[in-house]
Amino acid sequence: MGIRDTIASDQRASQRMGTQTEAQFVESVCVPLLCSTQNPDGGWGFHPRSESRPEPTCWALQALLQHSWPEIPEAAVRGFRFVRETQLGDGAWPSARAERVGCWVTALACWVLLAEKNSSNAVARGLDWLCKDWPRDSTPWRRFLGRFSSQRRIFPTNNSYRGWGWTPGTSSWVEPTAFALLAFYECPAELFPPAAARRRKLAEAMLRDRMCPGGGWNCGNPLVYGVAGEPLIIPTVWALLALRNQPERRENVLSLEWLEKSVANIQGPGSFALARMCLEAYGRMWPNNAPEFRSLHQRNEFLENIQVVAWTCLALCGKRRFLPVGLPRERAS
Amino acid sequence: MNGRNTALVPSFQRPLSTVLIRRSASYEMELASLIYESLLEFKLPTKDKTVLLKPNLVGLDPLGIVNTHPAVIAGAREAFLRLGASQVLIGDGPAMDRDTEAIIESVRLSEFAGPLARTFVDLNIDDVERVPLKTRASRLKELYLPKTVLGVDFLVSMPKLKTHHWAGVTLSLKNMFGVVPGSCYGWPKNVLHWAGIDRAILDINAVVRPDFAIVDGIVGMEGNGPIQGTRKACGVLVMGDDPVAVDATCCRVMGLNPGRVKYLAQAGTLLGHVQAEKIEQRGESIASVRTPFAVLDEFRQLLG
Repeated sequence: MGIRDTIASDQRASQRMGTQTEAQFVESVCVPLLCSTQNPDGGWGFHPRSESRPEPTCWALQALLQHSWPEIPEAAVRGFRFVRETQLGDGAWPSARAERVGCWVTALACWVLLAEKNSSNAVARGLDWLCKDWPRDSTPWRRFLGRFSSQRRIFPTNNSYRGWGWTPGTSSWVEPTAFALLAFYECPAELFPPAAARRRKLAEAMLRDRMCPGGGWNCGNPLVYGVAGEPLIIPTVWALLALRNQPERRENVLSLEWLEKSVANIQGPGSFALARMCLEAYGRMWPNNAPEFRSLHQRNEFLENIQVVAWTCLALCGKRRFLPVGLPRERAS
Repeated sequence: MNGRNTALVPSFQRPLSTVLIRRSASYEMELASLIYESLLEFKLPTKDKTVLLKPNLVGLDPLGIVNTHPAVIAGAREAFLRLGASQVLIGDGPAMDRDTEAIIESVRLSEFAGPLARTFVDLNIDDVERVPLKTRASRLKELYLPKTVLGVDFLVSMPKLKTHHWAGVTLSLKNMFGVVPGSCYGWPKNVLHWAGIDRAILDINAVVRPDFAIVDGIVGMEGNGPIQGTRKACGVLVMGDDPVAVDATCCRVMGLNPGRVKYLAQAGTLLGHVQAEKIEQRGESIASVRTPFAVLDEFRQLLG
């Protein structure tokens, strides 16, 4: 290893631990906020004092687990219970407790419940639901009809690649597809459904097909009416994390370059935290001139968004249980 | 709390609607006073009430042609406070990007409207309530909608004057897509596309019809809107207490026939007035501010 590699390696290690200021910010602001905003039912809302919802609960749990790892605190135990209790009869998770139809949150719930030994059955049912949840835009009948549609000019994407929609019976989009892929990557072999291997291949192809022409992803429209869509930070991060088993591929390289160049212009703390997590997961350097999270928090207090607080914890915590540097577990393909 | 208790009144039973057009050459003008004086003409019941301004915030907008301009939002906020509103919130649920704080920072909303931590409501992640739909234009039977929207006393739709590559135009009715929460339906809210955009616009507005509309037409967008179109200066603010009539007037200002905009023509039967003879125009005449907007080939039939 040359001197340059050693320095880079040291810098990465120090980055992963976070600066003293960042660690203090997590300890003094983010973790106390998460702990104090857990509702009596064990869940978290999107804001302090708001109703518990599965999605912010999943993120708050991921953050608390990383912070306390390898211990599982009492708050997390109650959070797991809330997540398990909100699972629907068909194995899916809804976005709000009163809803009766499952959605993309299923992938996030499976992902976080993998950390809890009593939830294997719930996870297996959730993954099974994901395998059966096909997007509606790419059924064989729709693909046939699509050959004659004027929409081909508007959306020149390959509909034989199929990911996941936000809600059942809709089209494939980048973020829900990435979440499902991440849940499948993280699950142990005994829970990996046989049908998932095919879904994973199709979904990875779909993500690559939907990349914006210059790298990066938006919600899933790389080209509309012949005009290139602008990539966005959050979908780019999730797509890159979902595809990080192939870091050398052109799509990954281009998109990582786009992400690195874009860090200086990020204006939202949520995007900022996720970009940091992603660059670290790929072993990339975080720019020294990037603004500090504390100053971003002072601006609008993250709009009191619990999910953003959780992402910030995940981004700044030195322990890398969550999305560690390096390749994800390989599964049978 | 269940819906905003806005009764559906067939348009033939509705009295004449009033729409006011004000000239405003730029965002540098004193918009708060201009809007305040305009609102006085409507005698709005907003004293001691909670008002929610619902602008159209889409995303990064370096040319200022995509989003409702922050100067108009801040001007409207100040105007409603001067009218005696107890609280004026600003809220939206952007459709394409879940980083709402990045969007409001990129449009510099806090520079114009002050600190946003207690003023801005991200409707994408608000608490939600199940609302059965009052109409069956689409196949949707119910929607989960933000409690803030359902609970405020007075709802103001504040769109940008733009063409739209699916709906033809996006104005105060289409702007209400932004109250549908991404946390339930995703980014974008694709379930509405599958339900049919035109039809979903009708169903949403039947259940959360805005009490007032203020359209930012100082600079609008023509062509491939709502994001990738071209800047079009129009120099007007259009406002009124019937969002359908406001949108119809905006179409006429844009050189488009509102009766040929599918959802607007249908809205004219139940949600408000489209016909010119049912709308009392105040302020500038339509002819004096007419600024023809270019449309995509698919919408040529809207011209004229």
